[in-house]
Amino acid sequence: MSSPKGAVSENGPLEQKKQGVKERKISQRIRNMVSGYLFISPFYLLFAVFGIFPILFSFYLAFFRWDGLTEMEFVGLNNFNIIFNDPLFWKSLYNTIVIGLMGTAPQLIAALILAFALNSVLVKYKGLFRLAVFLPYVTSIVAVAIVFSVIFSNQESGLVNSFLGLFGIDPITWTRSEWGAKFAISAMIFWRWLGYNTIIYLAGMQSIPNDLYEAAKIDGASLRQQLWYVTIPMLKPFIIFTVFTGTIGALQVFAEPHIFQGRAGREEGITVVLYLYRDAFVSNFFGTASATAIVLFFIIIIFSVINMYFANRIGQSKKVGTGK
Amino acid sequence: MKKYSLISGMLVLTTVLAACGGSDEENAEAQTNGNGAEGNNNAAEGNDVGEEDVTSLGSDEAEVELSFWLFGATGYPELAEEYIEENPEVSISFQEIDMEDHHNNLFTALSAGSGAPDMAAIEVSEIDSYKQAEDRFVNMYDLGAEEIEGDYLDWVWQIGQNVEGDFQFGIPTDIGPTVMYYRTDVFEEAGLDSDPEAVEDMIQTWEDYEEVAATILEETGKPMADNPETVFNAKRDQADQAYFNEENELILDSTPYVKEAYDDTAEMIQNDYVANLGMWTPEWGGAMAEGDYATLLAPAWMQGVIKGNAPDATEWRVASMPEGGGNWGGSWITIPEQSEHAEEAYEFLTWLLAPEQQLKAFENMGLFPSTPEVYDMPEFADATDEYFGGQNTAEIFAESALQVEHVHKGPQYGDVNAEILTGLENVYDGIDPEEEWEDILNRVEQRISR
Repeated sequence: MSSPKGAVSENGPLEQKKQGVKERKISQRIRNMVSGYLFISPFYLLFAVFGIFPILFSFYLAFFRWDGLTEMEFVGLNNFNIIFNDPLFWKSLYNTIVIGLMGTAPQLIAALILAFALNSVLVKYKGLFRLAVFLPYVTSIVAVAIVFSVIFSNQESGLVNSFLGLFGIDPITWTRSEWGAKFAISAMIFWRWLGYNTIIYLAGMQSIPNDLYEAAKIDGASLRQQLWYVTIPMLKPFIIFTVFTGTIGALQVFAEPHIFQGRAGREEGITVVLYLYRDAFVSNFFGTASATAIVLFFIIIIFSVINMYFANRIGQSKKVGTGK
Repeated sequence: MKKYSLISGMLVLTTVLAACGGSDEENAEAQTNGNGAEGNNNAAEGNDVGEEDVTSLGSDEAEVELSFWLFGATGYPELAEEYIEENPEVSISFQEIDMEDHHNNLFTALSAGSGAPDMAAIEVSEIDSYKQAEDRFVNMYDLGAEEIEGDYLDWVWQIGQNVEGDFQFGIPTDIGPTVMYYRTDVFEEAGLDSDPEAVEDMIQTWEDYEEVAATILEETGKPMADNPETVFNAKRDQADQAYFNEENELILDSTPYVKEAYDDTAEMIQNDYVANLGMWTPEWGGAMAEGDYATLLAPAWMQGVIKGNAPDATEWRVASMPEGGGNWGGSWITIPEQSEHAEEAYEFLTWLLAPEQQLKAFENMGLFPSTPEVYDMPEFADATDEYFGGQNTAEIFAESALQVEHVHKGPQYGDVNAEILTGLENVYDGIDPEEEWEDILNRVEQRISR
């Protein structure tokens, strides 16, 4: 479109001015953006160095044979081949799942009941009990494992064994028997994480409005019915969270068996993470250890999806919405 | 769309949670694990070291600044003060930390190619895994190490070099010659003569050892040894081959020595001559104080552990190991290739690890010398130990040290050893030794062929 020259010259300064403002605006926006990124950069820089890079590198490493000091050697999928053909790997996976179930499932149920009790009006000294229940979480895993090693000592004079002796049960070699080791390790996990989950459930329960309970009471609901039809459905997001973190935590169990059974580990208590740790940091086989880590990564995803599916169904009672 | 964002959100969350998974717990377990590979302890284990200890010697203006990574309590910083006085152009900073952290740090620094010190100690159980990386270290022979080679016991020197014998990784510090510690009260209770000389006469061979074990078990009901590990170690170390040949091929099945050591240990376990008090457990230490077993087949540095666990006991004595001693422990000081002051570091090391200084390290911290010249020095040869009833213990240790022969170990030695010890525990729990041996071979095969 051709416009008269005069018009252009007339509009010129104004247009220029506008453009100038726009430019300044853009540069201001960029400046804001830059400073914004700068503000959040510490996390991302640290995460890139200590999070993303090691993750990507271990994906890379899974296809190589490397002892940490000499040249890396490309071996394709051989590392996966090796671990999938190692009975100990499958045993470690089995152990992880069994210990996870034994340590986590009863724990979440116990935490729910404990939280319900702590939340009820009947309990006095709530603060004290809350503190007491949460305290185990604060202790270091290493300290827990050492204390439990003494409690679950193989000797006849060990605490648990001498207690069992009162009932005429023979002493159990806790660190070296199939179910003894799993039980002791699960007990450590149970003890340490119970308080953490209780507190989360308790927080969730306190966010449930009292009206709902009052309404339930008016309708004649028993305590059990209140728990089942009011508390649990309202707690759903909290339950999903604890099941989610509990599953991931269970799949990553490491320190408890590591200390309970010693650096080299034993097949009764070896978990997947312990298996890969042993491969990498005891035997210097970083390739197969990385391959194991990747397999574990996918296992965690699969478990999380399954979890999500089931956790979503919690509280979706058929009675809900039927307007009974 | 919602599903997609859910799954991708979960992926991210999984990654983050997985990445944040604990690694902070890994540090403190070293002290407690009972299953550790061979030689988990250094000479000076009895002396506690703080979390991290950095000592700097010399002036800030020194032309050459050396860094030195150590573990355990060696007393080297105090020793080095004398060197700094004579050589003011040098300053040295020592970092002394826990053994496991030390080796992790060193491994990482060498692997990464930066951050390693000018001098670093490597323990006997770790050194073979570094030998494939000659390019990461300075060859001591290039610095003139053949001149000092003769000062050290042959077998100790050989552990610090490659198979061909032309690359010297490090200079030896201390060693752990093995002996038989025993309890006089248990021997007396069984009606046996408990005098050191009499005990040594009585137990010359492993057959004698088992005979005495039978007598003690019958008379007192106490076991002869603390656990399968010490017995197996003692027997294994008397053979001239271990788990691998010099090409690092597994010879567990093709040579008789390890199997014999395994069988004999298994037999003693089945005869109830051996208890199963896991090493470094509280029960193990308690039994040491109470005298719940008769003998402890262990290296020279174990005297510090015994004194620590049983400070008031007066019944421990020392005799030589039946059929000859072995070695358990010790370190070599290496110079990583990254060092810019290899020559100065070497100069310092030849001074620090020379016989005169090794005698001082022995007097100060109980580090047992790797230089046989010291064994004839009057301060060493005439020393007696009141704890062991005024025995001249150093002489017995020295005698043991002179008997040791070099045995090639190989990088996966610790893995194989761990599997055999697991097997012996299973035998203790009642598994048939022959079946277990097959299992051990399978486990070892799985573990090392990758």
